[in-house]
Amino acid sequence: MVGVKNISAPYIYVCTRMRVRKAKLLPKEEYMRMLNMSLPEITRLIGETEYKQEIDELATTFKGIDLIEVALSWNLAKEYQKIQEITPGNLKQFTHAYLRRWDIQNVLTILRGKMQGVKAGKIKEILVPAGSLDANVLDRLLPEESIERIIDALKGHRMYPVLAREYPAAKESGSFSRMENELYKQFYAEILAEGEGGIKGGNLFIDFIKLDIDIKNIKTLFRLRADTFKEDAREMHILGGALSATDFANLNNIDDQGEFIDQLKAKIRQKLLLSLLEEMRTEKTIRDVEVRLTRVQLEQMERMSKRNPISIHPILVYLEKKKYEVFNLRALARGKESKLPSEKIAEYLVV
Amino acid sequence: MALRDIKPTRSELINLKRKIQLSERGYKILKMKRDGLILEFFKILANAKDTRGDLLRKYAKAVEMMAVANTVEGAIGVKSAAFSVKEVPQIILKSKNIMGVVVPQIESSKVRKSLVDRGYGVLGTSTVIDETASAFEELVESIIESAEIETTMKRLLDEIEKTKRRVNALEYKVIPELTAARDFIKMRLDEMEREELFRMKKIKSRNTA
Repeated sequence: MVGVKNISAPYIYVCTRMRVRKAKLLPKEEYMRMLNMSLPEITRLIGETEYKQEIDELATTFKGIDLIEVALSWNLAKEYQKIQEITPGNLKQFTHAYLRRWDIQNVLTILRGKMQGVKAGKIKEILVPAGSLDANVLDRLLPEESIERIIDALKGHRMYPVLAREYPAAKESGSFSRMENELYKQFYAEILAEGEGGIKGGNLFIDFIKLDIDIKNIKTLFRLRADTFKEDAREMHILGGALSATDFANLNNIDDQGEFIDQLKAKIRQKLLLSLLEEMRTEKTIRDVEVRLTRVQLEQMERMSKRNPISIHPILVYLEKKKYEVFNLRALARGKESKLPSEKIAEYLVV
Repeated sequence: MALRDIKPTRSELINLKRKIQLSERGYKILKMKRDGLILEFFKILANAKDTRGDLLRKYAKAVEMMAVANTVEGAIGVKSAAFSVKEVPQIILKSKNIMGVVVPQIESSKVRKSLVDRGYGVLGTSTVIDETASAFEELVESIIESAEIETTMKRLLDEIEKTKRRVNALEYKVIPELTAARDFIKMRLDEMEREELFRMKKIKSRNTA
């Protein structure tokens, strides 16, 4: 490994730890085995893994499937917080930036809950404090009486300018959709800016984020096509990826699936993505498209982390894989509870 | 009406004749109304069968989509997205008249929404939320349509039943009783006339003797 000599020990240490943690995640075979289990068996199995502590802690407050779901989310949040603690130097900054997306989700959930008049306790149940706003900060936001006060309480946070700018219009229209889109767009713009700030390893971080942006933009395009949305789609476009805002809007206006795929392929360079897009020439359900895009994203991320073993990549890949482990376990438990056939649940698993 | 309570007078006979005439006219009209309502009912029935089938199908789909959404996004994701719904469909109730039966006509504000009008952002959610929202919008539309048709059917059925009872009452009770009373008065008046005639004859023969 050329160049490893120049890398400090904490970097090697944390990347190795991430690889070890990743190796401890549930393998595909385990999910396949769980598909044939009943809900109590799955619950017991989850309770015997590293989620045990959260399940024991929350058992007095939640029951059944809700207990599993909340325990999984809490475990994810704890794990993310722990990783932010152990990552050194620049890696910490990038990890921190990458996890800020959870802040958007949590703040939006609080704002929407408040708008609907939901009790603070109920809102708290569905928060996942995995970002920079930890459980204590979120707890302080929850008792605030009005949305304006919550936004004021976020003064000094990166989200504040967008919230302050977009909220009056959102309040008037009764819809947070534009504000939500703007928050995510700002999030991506900021993390790209952090990567481009001249920090060592920033280019690798940017590669990872650009892949994320490309996949997100492609997913959005497929969603807009499924909804036959024909207005200006630029509002839903995230800057910084392979597609410019004009490309995005033009692609959204193409009706023919074959032509759409051709035009999209002309803009994309990743081989895995190109071969997946080729398969999408034939009509597929939008859900299928989304799951397959996620799988390709994870595979591409995995490749990147193997190419750059001592970089931000192993950390981010672990964060993503951990997220999808929680996603898969929740899908298995919820799917079994809803009595969905195993084949159908398997379609949604990201393995 | 017991025959013994009837006063066998000419004026009562004229009254009864009027009543019979009115009852027979009412009977004919109610019979026509009943037949008309039954025709209307059958017209709506075919529509109601389709609507009910459609409603059940959409309900099953919405339930399935909710299960899928819970599977993919978890209850946390679904609840978070559900919080973004602010507008509740508004219903305007009007009424229309079908052969004297007032039935509801339900108009609602726009239930189906486009991706951008649903209140949640496109960038923070997944397709399954769109599909679940869409399935429930279709279900709500179907419920509104079914509510109108099924309430109309229920009201028509009630009216048919009521009209049928009235027709039967007129046919088997009111008109026969009135006819019997009329016949009784006629018979009594004839009898009285014959008695009078006989009396007159008796008086005449006594006078000539």
